[in-house]
Amino acid sequence: MAGSELPPEDVLDLLVKELNEGLSPEEQRLLATAAPQSTDDTRRGLERTAAAVSLAASSADDQPLPPALRERLAQDARAYFDAVAAPGRADGSRAPAPAAQRMRRESSVGWWAAAACLLLAIYGWYRTPSTVFKPIETARLVTPAPEPTPEMQRAALLARPDTIKVPLGATKDPAAAGVSGDVVWDARAQRGFIRLAGLRHNDPSSQQYQMWIFDGERDTRYPVDGGVFNAPPEGQEVVIPIRNVIPVHLAKAFAVTVEKAGGVVVSARDHVVVLGQVT
Amino acid sequence: MSPSVLQGIASGDQSAVRACIDEYGALVWSLARRLSRTTADAEDAVQEIFLDVWKSAARFDASQGSEKMFIAMIARRRLIDRLRKKSAEPPMETIEALETIAWCDPGTASQTASEAELATRALHELRPEQRQVLELGLLHGLSQTEISARLGLPLGSVKSLMRRGLIKIREYMNIDAPTVAVRT
Repeated sequence: MAGSELPPEDVLDLLVKELNEGLSPEEQRLLATAAPQSTDDTRRGLERTAAAVSLAASSADDQPLPPALRERLAQDARAYFDAVAAPGRADGSRAPAPAAQRMRRESSVGWWAAAACLLLAIYGWYRTPSTVFKPIETARLVTPAPEPTPEMQRAALLARPDTIKVPLGATKDPAAAGVSGDVVWDARAQRGFIRLAGLRHNDPSSQQYQMWIFDGERDTRYPVDGGVFNAPPEGQEVVIPIRNVIPVHLAKAFAVTVEKAGGVVVSARDHVVVLGQVT
Repeated sequence: MSPSVLQGIASGDQSAVRACIDEYGALVWSLARRLSRTTADAEDAVQEIFLDVWKSAARFDASQGSEKMFIAMIARRRLIDRLRKKSAEPPMETIEALETIAWCDPGTASQTASEAELATRALHELRPEQRQVLELGLLHGLSQTEISARLGLPLGSVKSLMRRGLIKIREYMNIDAPTVAVRT
């Protein structure tokens, strides 16, 4: 640690943060300045430890690859091997080197750069055909369509085959009297809307409504935050997009609670207004 | 597990690529689903991870660890990189340095054969709060700040729980000796 002004614990905390979520540029500079090369072993040890933890967890819930994704991987593989083979073929002055030899030339930075460019080109073409092959006439200036309302977006989502609709039931909480509604949710798109009528008007400066999604693959004590919203006067119907900040893998239930303005990270569940269970 | 899948890819054997997808597709899909914001993101990530695996295959050394661990490390790097890019934080340099993957203390063959089992046992040796913090961070992709907010713990406590938990698992699994020595 010669030359370092950081205590070892701080260096290790930076390495752990790097492992868990990455470092900001400032933190990267700090670590590079403060920590010698010898931290590389520690970094790799932590990385291996985290991978082992991931293996321990993943073995319990491994699911097969979706068939469409498997097919895309097969196409990627073909494109990759074609790209690897391309420089030798393009040369023309000599036969392509065996693949094993080609792939061992890791010191050849220029070759890798060329291969990377080619891969990017192939990958980009493959992934964005509509961009590359968009007909010229579609690029004409047109009047932009109005932004679809949440009601329109909800209707469009509901029309998708994989979207589920979950009725919401009012609880015995005083704020729930006369409230009814439903949730539509598309797990693949991770999009959804909650529709509520009869909701008591709230003062946004002190209280807000907050949505929650119970994920069957997460601890039920910590449902996923779906965002906060306000109810208009007169109890008119509202359609609110669900804004989950982390993925919901298996939606099991939806709920709305009354929380302090801005929402909470973990709800005390003192005022649950509506609940709906996925059946 | 076939020990030759990555070596086959490195030697240009396209059938090894299919074997790699068959063998490790579920593992990579599982990791991607946990550490991606959406299913579509997870699918994109899986494609990127397998490209990384094929490019890195020649660096795999069977004497220094299992293929599964090698692929899990590559997957985690890519997924953390993607999560970071999608966060609201300022853009940073890519974590792409796959060339730097090297196996440290390899352990013995019997140890590497049961890395997941060892990690499972190690996790059960942790205090519940250490395990919870590691699960939220390593498995669900939450940042330390998000974990702090979610659990109502000071950020310093989250950092400490994560650090100590990781070190305990590393020691339990006998993964290298720390070059940054701290108290646990």
